[in-house]
Amino acid sequence: MEATGVCARLSAMSSVLDAPTTPPAAAAGASDARKIYGTGDAQVAALAGVTFACEPGKFTAIMGPSGSGKSTLLHCLAGLDALTSGSVHIDGVTLSELNDKQLTELRRTKVGFVFQAFNLIPTLTAKENMQLPMMLGGDPVDEEWFERVVTTVGLKDRLKHRPSELSGGQQQRVAVARALASKPKIIFADEPTGNLDSNSGGEILSFMRSAVDEFGQTIVMVTHDPYAAAYADRVVFLADGLVVAEIQQPTADQIIDQMKQIGH
Amino acid sequence: MILTLARKSLTARWGRNVFIALAIAFGVSFVSGSFVLADSMRATFDELFDDITATLDLQVRTQLQGVSETDGAVRDPVEASLRDTVAEVPGVAKVEGQYSRFAQIVDKDGDPVGGGGPPTFGFAWYDPAPESVFQIVEGVAPVGPDEVVIDRPVSELTGYVVGDTIPIILDTGQREFTVVGIAGRDDGQDVGGATTSYFDPAEAAEILSAPGVYDTLDVTIDHGADLNTVKQAVASVLPPNTEVLTGQEVGDEISDQLGTIISAFGTGLLIFALVTAFVTAFIINNVFGITIGQRLRELALLRSIGANAKQVRRLIVVEAMIVAVLATVAGVFGGLLVAQGIIWLFNQAGAGFPSVAMMLLPRTVIVSLVIGIGVVLLSVLVPARRASRIPPVAAMRPELGFEALSASRRLLGGAIVTGVGVVMFLVGLFVRPGGTSGLALFGGLGALLTFIGITSLSTTVALPVSRAIGAPIQKFFGVPGKIARDNASRSPRRTARTASALMIGVALISAAAVFAYSLRDTFTSVLESSINADYIVTDQTFTGLPPGVAEAMHDVPELSAVSPLRAIRGTIVGTDGSDKAIALAAVDPVTISDLVNLDVTEGDFSGLEAGNGVMVYRETANDFDLELGDTVDVVYQNGTEGALVVSGLFDDNSLDGNWYISLDQLSTVSTQAVRDQFILARVADGFTPEQASAAVEAAVAPFPQARVQDNAEFRAEVSGQIDQFLALITILLSFAIALSFFGIAVTLALSVFERTREIGLLRAVGMSRRQLRRSIRWEAVIVAIFGVVVGAVVGLGMGTALSLAVPDTVINQVTVPVPILIFVIIFAVIAAVMAAWYPARKASKMDVLRAIASE
Repeated sequence: MEATGVCARLSAMSSVLDAPTTPPAAAAGASDARKIYGTGDAQVAALAGVTFACEPGKFTAIMGPSGSGKSTLLHCLAGLDALTSGSVHIDGVTLSELNDKQLTELRRTKVGFVFQAFNLIPTLTAKENMQLPMMLGGDPVDEEWFERVVTTVGLKDRLKHRPSELSGGQQQRVAVARALASKPKIIFADEPTGNLDSNSGGEILSFMRSAVDEFGQTIVMVTHDPYAAAYADRVVFLADGLVVAEIQQPTADQIIDQMKQIGH
Repeated sequence: MILTLARKSLTARWGRNVFIALAIAFGVSFVSGSFVLADSMRATFDELFDDITATLDLQVRTQLQGVSETDGAVRDPVEASLRDTVAEVPGVAKVEGQYSRFAQIVDKDGDPVGGGGPPTFGFAWYDPAPESVFQIVEGVAPVGPDEVVIDRPVSELTGYVVGDTIPIILDTGQREFTVVGIAGRDDGQDVGGATTSYFDPAEAAEILSAPGVYDTLDVTIDHGADLNTVKQAVASVLPPNTEVLTGQEVGDEISDQLGTIISAFGTGLLIFALVTAFVTAFIINNVFGITIGQRLRELALLRSIGANAKQVRRLIVVEAMIVAVLATVAGVFGGLLVAQGIIWLFNQAGAGFPSVAMMLLPRTVIVSLVIGIGVVLLSVLVPARRASRIPPVAAMRPELGFEALSASRRLLGGAIVTGVGVVMFLVGLFVRPGGTSGLALFGGLGALLTFIGITSLSTTVALPVSRAIGAPIQKFFGVPGKIARDNASRSPRRTARTASALMIGVALISAAAVFAYSLRDTFTSVLESSINADYIVTDQTFTGLPPGVAEAMHDVPELSAVSPLRAIRGTIVGTDGSDKAIALAAVDPVTISDLVNLDVTEGDFSGLEAGNGVMVYRETANDFDLELGDTVDVVYQNGTEGALVVSGLFDDNSLDGNWYISLDQLSTVSTQAVRDQFILARVADGFTPEQASAAVEAAVAPFPQARVQDNAEFRAEVSGQIDQFLALITILLSFAIALSFFGIAVTLALSVFERTREIGLLRAVGMSRRQLRRSIRWEAVIVAIFGVVVGAVVGLGMGTALSLAVPDTVINQVTVPVPILIFVIIFAVIAAVMAAWYPARKASKMDVLRAIASE
């Protein structure tokens, strides 16, 4: 599939979403977030006091060497994992104040996920996977919107297929479609292209870029691939559990330079 | 949504769900089959007895007080003269004096038919009413002293036909008759099992050994007469302690008595069915537990995209319930097959059941549903709760999920459950709150909790124990042995759970073995110490010996002392004012002291010679507040009242109960046909055992039903009977054991599936298929031995408690059944190797490259 075609289809959907009028301070953020694994001598601080905010309607990439805490930050931001101290918030709600039920509700209604792998329930069809968050909550499916998302990701003729019958790229597109389908406030992506060849990866990143540009979708993505990060509006660098640098409107070269400085 | 997910997940994991379904269906069909069998047999026999008693209007017989035939009591006969009295009652058309006595046919090979099993009856033949379903189907009615009619099942079994000469063992000894007729039901639905012979009524008294009396009077009333009016009229001419019943009442009574036996039989089966269901629960629980581990990421993914904990829990439960309902329904109907299978087995063993219509009562369906669905619900509850605790982050970091799954606090929880279980078990056995039902409730629940607790506890010992079991295997079998050992010990919870299913079966067998062996050893040592007699004469049919045997032995000069033991029942008034049923044994007071040693502490057996003396077991005497010289008022089973004087006290009641009276005393209070339970005899001085044996054998030769054994032979036979009892229990538990090996196979198969990558890697670096198969096989062996060891330890404990709980007179020592334990271990190893066959094959057939590439 060509990138131009994707963009054309995405722009066709743009009328469905209202552009944010007065952007709030941050779609999601962390302040002095700390996460410590293990006890005693074996203690490891995955996050050593991260303060970070992602602007609404922007595509933010988080980068850093292995063990820098970037995935942990994403998991904590998304409410998948709990902090040891500090706080994270999504859409003005502090996650530590929520119980498990409220947290689940928040994930279901306000957050979308795209993981590196194992994004889909193997026993369900592509369509069922995409509609799963709505169905879990018993919410009605916005058929018109769903139709557009499906058309956009080009999976119209794959709806009845099981994940095992789809290619890796197609599986990731189902995952992106699922994330978009419930119209979340923010989408978290954890190495979404990590398992894909560069063509399929580029496609997924183009979708994500367009979703931000056309619908004002907020996306936070963890990656170690500078070319993937270059799709973002902003790149935040983590090392040893701390934010160490930041680049606005990055290019792949700038990112590579920065990574060399950190010692990737 | 949850339903859709559950349905899809079920169809996607077809194999293991089929297994779970089979396990449930198996357990449930055993439960359902127990009920179906009992209900069907009851219904069939009810119908048969209704037919048999349909043409019987009234029956006159003597009364039994405080006991029934099922207790082994025998009614006194009625005087022959009563027949004429009853015949004169207005409305009575015909009175037939009937007998129901011992008559055992000898087959063409010279062996008595039905020895030790079903009853053997001799009756007087009266031509049945034309409308009766029971008729002579071939030949004619017997006339004179030498003719007999036999029933069709016996004819078919033995091959005797009309015209044949047939030897029949009677209370008067063995005689030959000519078969003149075959009797049977005109619909062909004969009840087999019991063998019956019919004789000329005029000769029956002589042949069946009861001149001047009848066992019952069967009355036919005038056509058109009112049954109840005639019954009242008959009742008014009867002497005391005699009663009249309608045919319907007689039929109902037989049905009730048979129903009690069938119910007890059904309950026995049900207990083993429940054990099987319990084992099933363990296996299902384990399979679900493993499945959840395998679906960790999937469940975490559901959580991360918005499924709440409750939805995940419900998903697991709904999945299980769908399987449970389908399997349980299959199991209910499977019960019909089980029941038919058991009947078939009995028929193969010669029971001769008529064709039984299968009865599936609503109660059976409900109980089976509750058990089937309940078992699954219970076994899925914990895995489902653990599944709901999987954190969403495990979708990306499965290792965090496994952390959440491996819950702690097992040791404490397991210890508490085990403690409560053991206490309940012991309270049930030793305190017995509320009698037998309390014993069953506390004992059963206690055992159940103990098993659950031990399973939980064994998780903590699984690691060291399985490593210890694996050590020699590693030593002798190199790398495959080492891998087997590591795999068996790497998930102690799984090893413990898989082994637990086997543990229960082994524990129950070991407990039964301890109990049976202790019982046997107590029995034989008691017999050794309490019987001084050199010979014990018993009968083969458990109906007792006719008096002729003892009389014949009295005349043998090679014997110095002979005493039969006869029984009668009665009631006496207890210290609390209520009637207490007692069993009295009658002995020869002159010779008995030479034959038995009952530890007489006060008085003497010679005190019985006075006629109304009674010897009492010391503890019983204490219970009834009796001392030497006191008088006891007894009402015997036939209604006769008597007063006995305590003439002695003894300390050993293991031989024949708590009360001994003299034979003379018995004959003054009862006219019942004399049956000797057994006869004791001692060799006279100056004769060798060989001489005495030959003399005794010769004396009892006319009575083939009598079996002479010397003291040692008798003891050997008793222990043989207990071995048979143990074998029966083992067979009934074998379902549960087979299922637990099935569980080992499935767990291993799931583990192999789980370790696909690892196996691929092992193969890639050079492990041969054979080595791989071997490692899986040894893993199964380690798990099985673990189960056997834990089971044996638990079982020995339970069996010891059980043996200690029964009175010392029944069991006074504890024997560890070493041969059985060795056998169980050998069997477990073989079965484990067989259980590992499929998983090992599956693992070794795996494609190396694809295994490594799999996610």
